Amino acid sequence: MALIAVSGQTGCRIEEVARISAQRLGFQLVTQSRVRSLIQQEFGSGPIPDKAYADVLTSITARLATEHHLILAIDGAELLIRRFPAILRVYITAPEAVRVGNVMLDRRLDRPSAKEALWEMEAGDAAARKAYFGKPAPAPDAFDLTLNAGALNSEQMVELIETAARSLALAEHGYLSAAAEAQIQFQIRLRLARHKIIPAGSISLARRTFAHQSEQIFANLLDFYRIAWEYEPRTFPIHWDADGKVAESFTPDFYLPEFDLYVELTTMKQSLVTKKNRKVRLLKELNPALNIQVFYQKDFENLVFKYGLAERLVKA
Amino acid sequence: MSGDHLPEIERVLFTEEQIRQRIGEVAAEISQRYRGKTLKLIGVLKGSVFFLTELARRIEVPVKIDFLAISSFSNKSGSPGVVRIAKDLDDGIENEDVILVEDIVDTGFTLRYLLQTLASRSPNSLAVCTFLDRNSRRIVQVPVEFRCFEIPDRFVIGFGLDYNQLYRNIGYVAVLKMDTSHARI
Repeated sequence: MALIAVSGQTGCRIEEVARISAQRLGFQLVTQSRVRSLIQQEFGSGPIPDKAYADVLTSITARLATEHHLILAIDGAELLIRRFPAILRVYITAPEAVRVGNVMLDRRLDRPSAKEALWEMEAGDAAARKAYFGKPAPAPDAFDLTLNAGALNSEQMVELIETAARSLALAEHGYLSAAAEAQIQFQIRLRLARHKIIPAGSISLARRTFAHQSEQIFANLLDFYRIAWEYEPRTFPIHWDADGKVAESFTPDFYLPEFDLYVELTTMKQSLVTKKNRKVRLLKELNPALNIQVFYQKDFENLVFKYGLAERLVKA
Repeated sequence: MSGDHLPEIERVLFTEEQIRQRIGEVAAEISQRYRGKTLKLIGVLKGSVFFLTELARRIEVPVKIDFLAISSFSNKSGSPGVVRIAKDLDDGIENEDVILVEDIVDTGFTLRYLLQTLASRSPNSLAVCTFLDRNSRRIVQVPVEFRCFEIPDRFVIGFGLDYNQLYRNIGYVAVLKMDTSHARI
């Protein structure tokens, strides 16, 4: 089993580098938002004590590592994966001007406000790291590879990570064995019990087999533009029967964590679209803060037309 | 090219006169906003060339021009990889007031990538001016400060916008028939 931990200074677009690396190496990307979702599935929606966070994260990583090689775009991951056999720990740094530029764009701020926002974010990250791992900043010797985003673009950083991973022959290690995982989980559960946390039996890994080829094309398009996505990460109940049991639910096709946006592709005939529109409307009524965008057949046809992808698409 | 009788055109969306008038209005807005400054217009090849040329001629503050191009997703031989700069700017933009000039913004994917790339190069300010805005298809919310026209969810050509690299030189904007068998490929 291979693990690559990518972390770095605030504002360095760490997830983007991790995502492209995962794509190139065929590893599975684990982001902060995916971890939040998995924690909720595995440990419920109650608060996790700060001191238990490292163990919770290790438990989830071990479970995922039985089925995938992983890239963790998670602050502090370099501390967790020491217990795993085949690892690469990457740190991304950049001059403040570059990081301020990223914040300017992400938050639509002018430069002085972006600088202030970056400082606040840095303070928040340091506080979280101290709460979770006991130290406000990582030690330089905790990493195998340090990259400067001021001198290297994302592509170049990915190439260096890829070269390092291949040089270390990370992917030649098999996935984490069931026995090794069981041992890790047993130790962690003992420690979590001190915090009165009792995990459920298993983690529901997100499916990566697409139900329709249009979803595959859409995923390819998101990958091309370096936009992080998760496929069907969450199912929302939208209707309950008289006994309070869930009678109807809705699973949006994609979640784009960077924009906190769900996207539903609808490349089907109008009668079914009406049914789906009803589900989306119910979902919005029940979750007014939730952002969801429906991408209709015409939208998708125009994309296909624009990019000349007709030959890739099997019609619904 | 007048393109009066092209059979592949469904209807004209904006005439040459409407385009000329609207670009003049947007240019005036930009001139007002950037009064006393020197502006750098960055055009995204190839679609923005016609719009940028007309816009630059109508702006009344000093203007510099540069271009960049990015790789295309339409790689029919399999996985297209990831977006990258195919032609970079000739000069840096540090401390400059930059307007990124686009022919059309729809999903916001391309614009997001370009803004990320340019913002990391420390411009004094960075804004977006697009000829057409197809807001109904927006997935990524990107800031668009100046726009000439909002358009419906139809495939359009002309005034820089193409289908298979054709029709860019039509002076107006038209809706292309979706039946590609009529298109001159």
